[in-house]
Amino acid sequence: MTDEALFQLKTLRAPQPSPEAKKLALNAAMLAFDAEQAKRPAAKAGWLSRWKIGAGLGVPLGTAVAALVLLPLGTQMYTATSQRADGLPPKGDVTIASSDDKPADVSIAKEKTGPTAPVVSTLATAEPAKPVGEAKDEETGLAGTVTTTEEAPVEMDQLTAIAPAPEQAMGRDALTKMAAPPSANATASGGMASLNAIPLQPEGDNFLKFDENRVKITKEEPVSTFSIDVDTASYSYVRGLLEDGYLPEPEAVRLEEMINYFPYDYPAPASIDTPFQATMTVIPTPWNPKTELLEIGIKGYVPPATERQPENLTFLIDTSGSMDEDNKLPLLKRSFGLLVDSLQPEDTVSIVTYAGSAGLVLRPTKAKDRSSIIDALERLYAGGPTDGADGLALAYRVAEGAKTPGSVNRVILATDGDFNVGIDDPDALKTYIKTQRDQGVFLSVLGFGRGNLDDELMQSLAQNGNGNASYIDNFREAQKVLVEEGGANLVTIAKDVKIQVEFNPGVVSEYRLIGYETRALNREDFNNDAVDAGEIGAGHTVTALYEITPVGSGAELNDPLRYSTDAANEVSADDEIGFLKMRYKAPDGDTSKLIETPIGRDLMLNDIAEAGTDQRFAAAVAAFGQKLKGSNYGGSMSWQQIADLANGAKGDDANGYRAEFVQMIKLAALLNPDHSAGGKSGADDLNGGKAASASAN
Amino acid sequence: MTGSLALTPQLTQTPMRSAATVRDNVLVDRAKAGDRLAFSQLVETHYDFIFRTACKWTGKKSDAEDIAQEVCIKLATAIQSFDGRSAFTSWLYRVTLNMVRDMQRSTTRRGKTVDAFALVHPEDDPGGQEEATAAKEIWTAVSALPEKQREAIMLVYAEDMNHADAAVIMGCKEATVSWHIHEAKKTLRGLL
Repeated sequence: MTDEALFQLKTLRAPQPSPEAKKLALNAAMLAFDAEQAKRPAAKAGWLSRWKIGAGLGVPLGTAVAALVLLPLGTQMYTATSQRADGLPPKGDVTIASSDDKPADVSIAKEKTGPTAPVVSTLATAEPAKPVGEAKDEETGLAGTVTTTEEAPVEMDQLTAIAPAPEQAMGRDALTKMAAPPSANATASGGMASLNAIPLQPEGDNFLKFDENRVKITKEEPVSTFSIDVDTASYSYVRGLLEDGYLPEPEAVRLEEMINYFPYDYPAPASIDTPFQATMTVIPTPWNPKTELLEIGIKGYVPPATERQPENLTFLIDTSGSMDEDNKLPLLKRSFGLLVDSLQPEDTVSIVTYAGSAGLVLRPTKAKDRSSIIDALERLYAGGPTDGADGLALAYRVAEGAKTPGSVNRVILATDGDFNVGIDDPDALKTYIKTQRDQGVFLSVLGFGRGNLDDELMQSLAQNGNGNASYIDNFREAQKVLVEEGGANLVTIAKDVKIQVEFNPGVVSEYRLIGYETRALNREDFNNDAVDAGEIGAGHTVTALYEITPVGSGAELNDPLRYSTDAANEVSADDEIGFLKMRYKAPDGDTSKLIETPIGRDLMLNDIAEAGTDQRFAAAVAAFGQKLKGSNYGGSMSWQQIADLANGAKGDDANGYRAEFVQMIKLAALLNPDHSAGGKSGADDLNGGKAASASAN
Repeated sequence: MTGSLALTPQLTQTPMRSAATVRDNVLVDRAKAGDRLAFSQLVETHYDFIFRTACKWTGKKSDAEDIAQEVCIKLATAIQSFDGRSAFTSWLYRVTLNMVRDMQRSTTRRGKTVDAFALVHPEDDPGGQEEATAAKEIWTAVSALPEKQREAIMLVYAEDMNHADAAVIMGCKEATVSWHIHEAKKTLRGLL
């Protein structure tokens, strides 16, 4: 969907509220206000002075004395963990004091839709019972006192949610500010839904998952078709969350993107005639002893260094004011510096800026003159108005002028989302880029900052320009995208790559594709060249995993049919698990070519230890992803087992990605310990823990 | 996911406060101190904003009215926690949105209301039906998204916020908002 379409949302207008409803609401609000004021005679003194009075006068009220003595254990615990060693309220005072009026509070908030009258009555009855001079912080008050109602766990959640936030010094305002809005909602719905104002990631009790691929019965649906995907965004996202101490939402965990984040050392094809090659292995599934894991590893052709064509790169850099943030222009400069370092002396670099300081910043310069290039980069600054400088056309003209025979020419557009490059209409822009591509200048897009990034436009521009769109959110990612994968991301070797696997029902009774949910294709799409699919760059690796259930293993999740005939096995090829077909087009081709290969039984290994490190590591990533997202499948491994599997399969790990992954497993294990019935979501566990603490009050 | 809502710099805080913001803050201060009239003026002034926000999110007039009423009641107590570091309306938006979330998550509630879609399009009058229908279809598709994606899309496109402001409302990182938008677009691709 285009932005344009989505912006139509803006045009929708709410109707006028009905005057009756408004009046009811206002009356209800005033009643609540009056009740509130009646509860707080000391309101004008402000909270801090009230607290001082309470403390200084030795707590004048009977209830408050009781409160201090009977400070609930749970509250104490949470107070302790939050390290409120500052001037924050002693919870007991607040907490117990409001215990008497609890029914009133709850009834106010719970009076969801009813007419105003019931509110009046509950308020009226509750009001006289309230002791004078009690603390007024219902939000925190409920936390300690409501132990039997459904609200209790919710409120305790809030406390813990608040606890890790390092704002102790901000005092009560910060605390109540955070607690207040969710509290109302909590009492209204009684769920733990209210927590989402607080960045507690695993809060989604009834979170909608995207549908995980289910187990398919081979006889019913023998063919599985999908497009390859070299996207890896999910992994960086999950990594960021775990490092910040949060569990990701299940839907954020895309298994194929996690698996494909890592480089795998599959054998590469020998010549460009077969641009990629599949390596297949079948190993025992680490999380299910009765099933097997079919791993299909695809590696793109890597042009040898001698065939390396000189690169002619034109950086087209957005210098609009919005780029003036640490993770934008400064990161961009360092990223491009890395790229320049990785170039060969005879490669050419030019720099064009647009929006803000517009124009040709650096004439085509050989990479061996590194200092000139770096100087030019360093001089870039963000600022000025975003004017429609004709940046793109200039960049292409510069690239055109710097072409040498056999050079790979590419414009690299770096932006935080401002595509004001001189052509307004996205379609015209795409057409323009396509024309330039056909003349031999490709386009790649690097997104920075993610602030107002138009992902869709970015992707489609890059696609039209035969390039990749990548996000650079930190220096490490810049290194990965621009240096380590520089070749793959700059040179496309095959496009519209589709994979189709037909399983042999005589050998495989059930199968399940792990991940690729969003890349699924219809069976008939495979042979339809009009259907778009993913691209593979030079040296890219793509891995797909199927969990397969061998016939007669007893691991079938579906019972056999009572009335089925068993004559389906038409090809009596008992030595084949299935048949792999891959379709692709040459980067400049329109018709697809087919690569076919049977998946023989001889690929099956009896012991996972016999498999290569790549295969074992991919299995570990799959296991981790499944467990992390609370998948219905594969939750049976403990974090430790997954970590052991990954640790034993690190191989060379020259870049340390796999070691980093093992650390991630440890973080996940801390956040969602195994004793909570493996595979369950973190939210369940947290709830359980808090509910228990709350009821201990 | 670092920090908290309270710690996040309030984006709406600018050196130059509009007259309306100043008036709001004066009313809030008086209401906090127990001034009945100030509180009633405050609620009266903002009821339509609350209702419209709720309506935009729920698409149902009756739901929006219920939510607005709850928010009004809530304000009687919650007003004490408003500290003026963000504009009153941004704060109110968050309170309202929280209420919307809860209502939409409460399963007993879901599906019970059968009212017609209440949002109107300027082109609803004869002549612009097509555009109006398209906008409503988009709204419907968006409202079927998972919660976070829906929120991100609504804030950025329906409310025309930038990702940073949407992140403050959603209580997450800017990058997370972008991620949800990215995911939502993936989901929506092909639907419309």
